[in-house]
Amino acid sequence: MPPVSPFRRTRAATSQYRRARPAALNFEDLLRPQVEYLYRLAWRFTGSVADAEDLVQDVLIKLYPRTRELLEIERLRPWLARVLYHQYVDSVRQRARSPIVELVADAEGEDNPLDALPAMKDGPEERAERSGQRERILAALRRLNPEQRAVVAMHDVEGYSLEELATMLETPLGTLKSRLHRARERLRALLPMEPFSAGERVKQ
Amino acid sequence: MECRDFTTQLDDLLDGQLDALRQKSVQEHLGRCPDCRRRHEHAVAVREAVCKLSPPALHPGFMDQALSRATRGTHPRWHPVLGMALAATLVLGVAVGAFLTTRPESVQTVALTIDRPETVRLMFNSAKPLKAATLSLALPENVEFVGYGDRRELSWQTDLREGGNLMQLPLIVRGATKDELVASLSHDGSSKTFRLRIEVDDAGKRGM
Repeated sequence: MPPVSPFRRTRAATSQYRRARPAALNFEDLLRPQVEYLYRLAWRFTGSVADAEDLVQDVLIKLYPRTRELLEIERLRPWLARVLYHQYVDSVRQRARSPIVELVADAEGEDNPLDALPAMKDGPEERAERSGQRERILAALRRLNPEQRAVVAMHDVEGYSLEELATMLETPLGTLKSRLHRARERLRALLPMEPFSAGERVKQ
Repeated sequence: MECRDFTTQLDDLLDGQLDALRQKSVQEHLGRCPDCRRRHEHAVAVREAVCKLSPPALHPGFMDQALSRATRGTHPRWHPVLGMALAATLVLGVAVGAFLTTRPESVQTVALTIDRPETVRLMFNSAKPLKAATLSLALPENVEFVGYGDRRELSWQTDLREGGNLMQLPLIVRGATKDELVASLSHDGSSKTFRLRIEVDDAGKRGM
């Protein structure tokens, strides 16, 4: 969890009233307007609705005990983006260390519904996403590493400048430039010229 | 300006970061080099395409549920397997390999690093949807649920869907442990017990 200093407002600016309210009320007031933004950014990081929801949920759970601290944050959105970014990178690393454990029952069971492993089935969302340019772009984004995807999402899509990101993510400007350059280069290589030429661009 | 010079300026051009002199030089080059013009159009188009991607709408109820879970605390939750599998196909492949080699023991093993919170991903497979199954988790010594203080056992009612039901269980190991994590799933008079051996990963600790 990053320190709060670059975004902190003075303590006097936080009203006595807010500090006296129950944490849950303050937390909801502060975070409810930000959940959609966090979800959108999380989806751009992860490329998956389920993973984006998990990421947002994990961030909210981690932030709730810090509600008083959140009241002190002047620019909440970039601060939250930073928290989300760190949570995302941590979760990717943690997942790489933590393979799925498929549990095996103690005793042999007969006709127990818990025994079988049916084939995974595509849901409507998965089928839709696999079609057309949207899926091609998503597939290309999935080929980037987590840091590259994050810089594309935060700079190219959300519009944070590289200088802002260098402060937010406490990462050298040169590192971010290099990440962005490699990410764009890779995307261009993965998304060939023809469907992306001027006049025939992606329509939503 | 040569084509290779243009390539090094492309990111700044896309970001509107070129000063007037470089901008003029780049524009002159684009005016006389069709290859770089196409390269530039391609770069602009790819960036636009990425920007125009929008996420599926937030599930109704997610916001209320997520805020409520954060403020009131909650039991570990199921995670959709499809989404996870899309993002972690390789991890799943490794897990299947590990599963096959350890199958004769019928007890799975994970290695965790002391004093580092780590998420163990447990998959429960069910041949049909189960409503209101009771899931109980009991910890071995020296292992804690992250966020549950001193509680050694958790038990709650939950629904399982057909197929894989993935749960992310945040655990922290405080020292060597001999026993196993025991997960019991009961439904409609029948029950299953699952065991997970937790080992201490000394190499992970040294690498911290």
